Amino acid sequence: MASEVSQNHIRVRDLSVRYGSTRVLNNISIDIPDKKITAIIGPSGCGKTTLLKSFNRLIDLQEGVSVSGQVFVDDEDIYDPKTEITHLRKRMGLLSQRPQVLPMSIYENVVYGLRVHGEKSKEKLNAAVERYLKEAHMWHEVKDRLHTSAAKLSIGQQQRLCLARGLAVGPEVILGDEPTSALDPISAEQIEQRFLALKDKYTIVLVTHILRQARRLADYVVFLYLGNLIEHGPAEEVLNNPRYAKTKAYLEGRFIEEPEIEKELDLIKLTFPESLKALEKVFKELKVGQVLRIVSGEKNLQGLIRSPLVAQHTVLEIKKRDALTSEVIMQKNEGGYSI
Amino acid sequence: MDKRKVEEYIFKVLMLGAVLIVIGSLVFILATILVKGLPTLSWEMITKTPQGGYYMGKGGGILNALLGSLLLGIGATILAAAVALPIVFYLNLYLRRRSRFALAVRFFLDVLWGIPSVVYGAFGFTLMIFFGLQASLLAGMITVALLVLPIMARGMDEVLKMVTFELQEASLALGATRLETAGKVIFRQAFPGILTAVLMAFGRGMSDAAAVLFTAGFTDSLPYSLFKPVATLPLAVFFQLGTPFPEVQSRGYAAALILTAIVFSLSILARLITRGMNKHVIK
Ligand SMILES: Nc1ncnc2c1ncn2[C@@H]1O[C@H](COP(=O)(O)OP(=O)(O)O)[C@@H](O)[C@H]1O
Ligand SMILES: [Mg+2]
Repeated sequence: MASEVSQNHIRVRDLSVRYGSTRVLNNISIDIPDKKITAIIGPSGCGKTTLLKSFNRLIDLQEGVSVSGQVFVDDEDIYDPKTEITHLRKRMGLLSQRPQVLPMSIYENVVYGLRVHGEKSKEKLNAAVERYLKEAHMWHEVKDRLHTSAAKLSIGQQQRLCLARGLAVGPEVILGDEPTSALDPISAEQIEQRFLALKDKYTIVLVTHILRQARRLADYVVFLYLGNLIEHGPAEEVLNNPRYAKTKAYLEGRFIEEPEIEKELDLIKLTFPESLKALEKVFKELKVGQVLRIVSGEKNLQGLIRSPLVAQHTVLEIKKRDALTSEVIMQKNEGGYSI
Repeated sequence: MDKRKVEEYIFKVLMLGAVLIVIGSLVFILATILVKGLPTLSWEMITKTPQGGYYMGKGGGILNALLGSLLLGIGATILAAAVALPIVFYLNLYLRRRSRFALAVRFFLDVLWGIPSVVYGAFGFTLMIFFGLQASLLAGMITVALLVLPIMARGMDEVLKMVTFELQEASLALGATRLETAGKVIFRQAFPGILTAVLMAFGRGMSDAAAVLFTAGFTDSLPYSLFKPVATLPLAVFFQLGTPFPEVQSRGYAAALILTAIVFSLSILARLITRGMNKHVIK
């Protein structure tokens, strides 16, 4: 298990991000599976872009940002002051919402990253241009006008050029921030095809607010809501059989309601026999349909969720408060509770 | 007619009036120097230096001032650009958008912009006395460089502000440093605008009289040393208009015509360049 985990290119541990005093990501912990397409979904403003940009530290450029927690890329904590940022970014290609071609020719766009990283050999640059434009599936469209301006390309071609440019620096990961949202349907389809073709070679993280796109592409799905990681797992599970109420509401296009908490139990300060008694008492008092919040230490969390006491309840959400504490929010089902 | 229509009408008239004033004064200025200067404008004027007694109506030309102004303008522009470029790149790429420091720098540049050029001249003169220098091409260049620095820097600043943050991100995301991003991406994207700012500063620099009056001096010989006085067009205009001889005054208008023609072609050039050079620029 441990060795498998450490193979993941990207592992996030208790990541919190704040802009000034507003928290936009709350204690996110997640492993991004390698050589798969991971879709980050959620309504706009929930922190998808922030999460994505924390992977290559583009988030550093935001005004007033503060980051806590860790992101490991190939076992290296990228928020460690010793990390070479240029080196880190070289390992990840980025596609942004609107394609951002550089103000130079098509050829120069593709080799820009290579040149920046010191490649001078003309042959190697030429070879790279052909290879990566082919990988981005646009070689035949542009091979006769490599030295014309990239700004003249159609917007869909520009996005594929951005892909080629990103691939050229030899990344392991491709990050896409709603990369098809500015494109026409055919261009969007082409980008999607590229992702499917490339996922054997690259770890792809795709932010999307288009659910159908997530269904078409994703192997793994991460659902964020208001900065909280609500649910993550294999795509079929999360998309077809979500575990938590908020995920379900989002997938069905319903308004996501914050449950009104009617009872609360803090297990943190209690030790074993008292905690069990307190649990039994609160479950007994809880009425059908009422919502209970239990604050629990991280290490007791799994035991709590699996305990028979909880069986007649729906777990609405599990929220991480910080590295050591979580909140479980559950609702009592029809049929009541009996031991 | 109801009240709103009357309002609309009054505003239209006011706007039209303002436009007419702008166009009218330009036409009027051009007409004046054309009418008064054209008769004496000759090939000799721009190919010869003043002969003895030029300012009393004898022969010769103002090649000394023409070359002097060009040299001084070019030198001052290069000096100013060497300072302005690092400033604006620092402001726009390294500092946060709402940084207090950036705000302060912009404020100071705006204040400097508003200081009359004669004050720059006086300041340059003080410096020269302090260092025991005489009026010279170099002293004039430095003074004019200070004069055009705020114009150039704020012009470039406005251009760089237009470059999107996402473009910067795209370059950084490929592992480029800020400096590489500044030099290879942002500079290229902003190049037409930067060049326009440079040309504007050049035109402003070579047409200012007050800044060079004490600092560059005046001479009838062609410029040959950085450390010797140099003639400039604005002063040539000034001196010739100051004589009591109608013919020399007319030459003064001709010199003004030459100066205006240079500045005018510069602004046309700037426009052509922004149109021609932006083939790679992303809109
Ligand atoms: N630079 C910033 N400064 C302050 N708040 C920001 C900044 N960038 C994003 N936010 C806020 O952070 C939240 C998450 O933003 P974002 O990650 O862009 O969401 P998403 O990509 O899911 O739409 C939003 O509420 C947004 O308003
Ligand atoms: Mg976003």
